[in-house]
Amino acid sequence: MKRDLMEILCCPVCKGDLELEVDVEEEEILEGKLICNSCNEVYEIKEGIPNLLPPDLR
Amino acid sequence: MKTQKENIRTRVKEQYAEAARASPSSEAACCDDNYSSAELSAIPTESVLGLGSGNPVRHADLKSGEVVVDLGSGAGIDVFLAAGRVGPQGRAIGVDMTPDMVARARRAAESRGIANVEFHEALIEKLPLEDDSVDVVLSNCVINLSPDKPSVFREAFRVLKPGGRLVISDIVQEHPLNLFADGSSCVATAMVRADYLEAIHASGFPNVEILDDKPSLQDSQGVAASAITLRAEKPAKT
Repeated sequence: MKRDLMEILCCPVCKGDLELEVDVEEEEILEGKLICNSCNEVYEIKEGIPNLLPPDLR
Repeated sequence: MKTQKENIRTRVKEQYAEAARASPSSEAACCDDNYSSAELSAIPTESVLGLGSGNPVRHADLKSGEVVVDLGSGAGIDVFLAAGRVGPQGRAIGVDMTPDMVARARRAAESRGIANVEFHEALIEKLPLEDDSVDVVLSNCVINLSPDKPSVFREAFRVLKPGGRLVISDIVQEHPLNLFADGSSCVATAMVRADYLEAIHASGFPNVEILDDKPSLQDSQGVAASAITLRAEKPAKT
């Protein structure tokens, strides 16, 4: 996932703003988390792919 | 207890996960003579699984620098075609709920060093994108599988910028078929044409233009289902 995508990403459930936490970054973010500022849901980024499925569908 | 919606999603996920693990050459193209050899030669081979019902990119008039999202991007074919048209300043984003498909598409992008594509696991009824954030929403033979099509159209309308366009290929029933909705049988879970078009209209798109229309299934009453490609615009702000 590219960092500049943060401009348009939001929480799929409540549409709140997401905060990015990076664990591994090369040209793009490979491992990390997206955390919703409004509902506090956490979405993992693994091997460059953010999992933005609602919690009950993961 | 799983709801009917969850059951449909589970079956679709299982069947598409299996398709994602197939090698491109062994997969029989179900509906696909929709792409030219020039189009196919410009994109990763492994992104082509033959699961589409049209060629929405061809009808989307994509411009350099545009942001495109493909709903149910699968192995990525339409994302890669769109990426070629929007160029390095643009961006093509694929969303799909099947992890194997997303992983397959991402591997294809990585192996070719294609930088202006993104693949996310997400639900097309609950998009992880801001309001008014994309120029074009694409989808190819996917919305028919959704257990909640009106939500898909409402989300498409929400994420489009004013003046943005929805360009989709899909299957519609021409009369109620009452087939057993066995997962990814795209005809069984498809909506009747008039209801489908009304759902798009109800989500806020004032006009729907049908760009391509061909029969895909016959029964004793004639054409039972059709593959259509359509375009609708979100009104520009005045």
